[in-house]
Amino acid sequence: MYVNAGNLKKGDFIRYQNEIWQVQKADFYSPGKGSALMKSKIKNLMSGKNIDYTFKSQENVETLDVESIEMQYLYKDNENLYFMNERTYNQYQVRLSIVGDIASFMKEGTKHFVYLYDDKPLNVRPPLSVKLKVVETEAGIKGDTVTGAKKPATLETGVVVQVPLFVKVGDVISVNPETAQYTGREQ
Amino acid sequence: MQINTTIANLKNYKTYLKVEEAVHEFMRKKEYLKVDLPVLSPALIPESYLEVFQTDFTYLEKREKLFLTPSPELFLKRLLVHGVGNCYFLGKAFRNSEPNSERHTPEFKMLEYYKTKSDYMDIADELLELLRFIYIRVNGLSEMERRKKQEIKFQNKKISLSKWEKLTLAQAFQKYAGIKDIELFNDEKFIEKAKVKGYKVDGFTFEDVWSQMYTQEIECHLGMNGYPTMLYDYPKEFAALAKLNKDGKTAQRFEFYIGGVELGDCYTELTDWKEQEDRFNEEYRKRKTSRKIDHPIDKGFIEALQYGLTDCAGIAIGFDRLAMIYANATSLDDLKLINIR
Repeated sequence: MYVNAGNLKKGDFIRYQNEIWQVQKADFYSPGKGSALMKSKIKNLMSGKNIDYTFKSQENVETLDVESIEMQYLYKDNENLYFMNERTYNQYQVRLSIVGDIASFMKEGTKHFVYLYDDKPLNVRPPLSVKLKVVETEAGIKGDTVTGAKKPATLETGVVVQVPLFVKVGDVISVNPETAQYTGREQ
Repeated sequence: MQINTTIANLKNYKTYLKVEEAVHEFMRKKEYLKVDLPVLSPALIPESYLEVFQTDFTYLEKREKLFLTPSPELFLKRLLVHGVGNCYFLGKAFRNSEPNSERHTPEFKMLEYYKTKSDYMDIADELLELLRFIYIRVNGLSEMERRKKQEIKFQNKKISLSKWEKLTLAQAFQKYAGIKDIELFNDEKFIEKAKVKGYKVDGFTFEDVWSQMYTQEIECHLGMNGYPTMLYDYPKEFAALAKLNKDGKTAQRFEFYIGGVELGDCYTELTDWKEQEDRFNEEYRKRKTSRKIDHPIDKGFIEALQYGLTDCAGIAIGFDRLAMIYANATSLDDLKLINIR
């Protein structure tokens, strides 16, 4: 399907120069002469490389009809993350370089949505939030809780995030994997 | 859109206030008259590339259309014709159909000023002085400290306000896009070159492709080499209201950038009212064909110009963006306490 570049938004999959890209950011921009532009950041889903590209807002861009299928995340090695479609038992692999930092918030055995195009896996859809257990953090740091002082905490996947001072080992916290921000603690 | 309250922006907002105070102080020192102007007007200058906001004044059965001003230019130039001399406006401007982004909001603050008996280079010199003055006020520096240090930190880059990095538009296109002089000033050759570079050109105008290449290949380098960049001498097609240079191909216009952020646009003003009127009619026609809001043309403005606009140069600066630079904020979202997004 072709759309005007002016309608592109974060998360869209496009074909550009015969490769598949995912839109990371798209800002409308009016330069004052000529038609408006769409300043975007796009990620190449083969190489994982990000580039800045400016489309004319009226330019046709091919968007791809991509499915997102819920799968079980099995494990990762140095290059790939491995998933299984629990209905078909088919396994899929997504390159670590494509998934990026979000991979460090993914716990083996949990369910995630994987984007498929022509049955080929493109990327993992980042969950809005993940729940992970705190395995290491300094106890009883005193500080000003009103102004939101933070301390580092290691979570069960090994990733370190900044958390409020009251969080302790064993707590399950929610984190936005895209920003690595603490969003709350499970009761 | 929704209303966002962001008290966490208090520190940046206080910098914004200091920048604002510094501008008023500098302008007073340089004897520019501060002008308070309406933002609702019954007529506007037609500009084909921007959309306006329209509202109604109602009284009993009567209705009159009013428009939010996209720039204070129409009022300031009337005043110049009446001999007010150097003057400035620091206030709100409104542009429709341009969504919110990190660098733009439909309602924004604009600093626009005119200097008589001057050209764009005079404005450039004084502007650098203004940028340094704001720096001193924002950081509370003494005269002694000022001499040693005049460096803004913006997004991990140090930008010295000691001088301009000056580039003509032709030099910039040569340096960053490999476009030769002859290609820049010839529509066909330019389009040909753009096509080779992989830009889509079919169905687009020279201006469309030019703006795209400029944004993609040039803009990201401007104000990134340790100094603010002043990009000057635009092809005359891109500076309809500016005085022509002797070469006949370029006009006296500059834009300036810090850290890749476009901050302002300056012209040595065209004083020929016939030329202005032609340009108005052309812009009005373009507005009609692109089905933009049909607002009355400010005829009084043309009449005023017939009395003769004095030789002057003027500049419009995106004030919020300027304050964003001094606050070292990445986005306009981080600058104010209440934002509509």
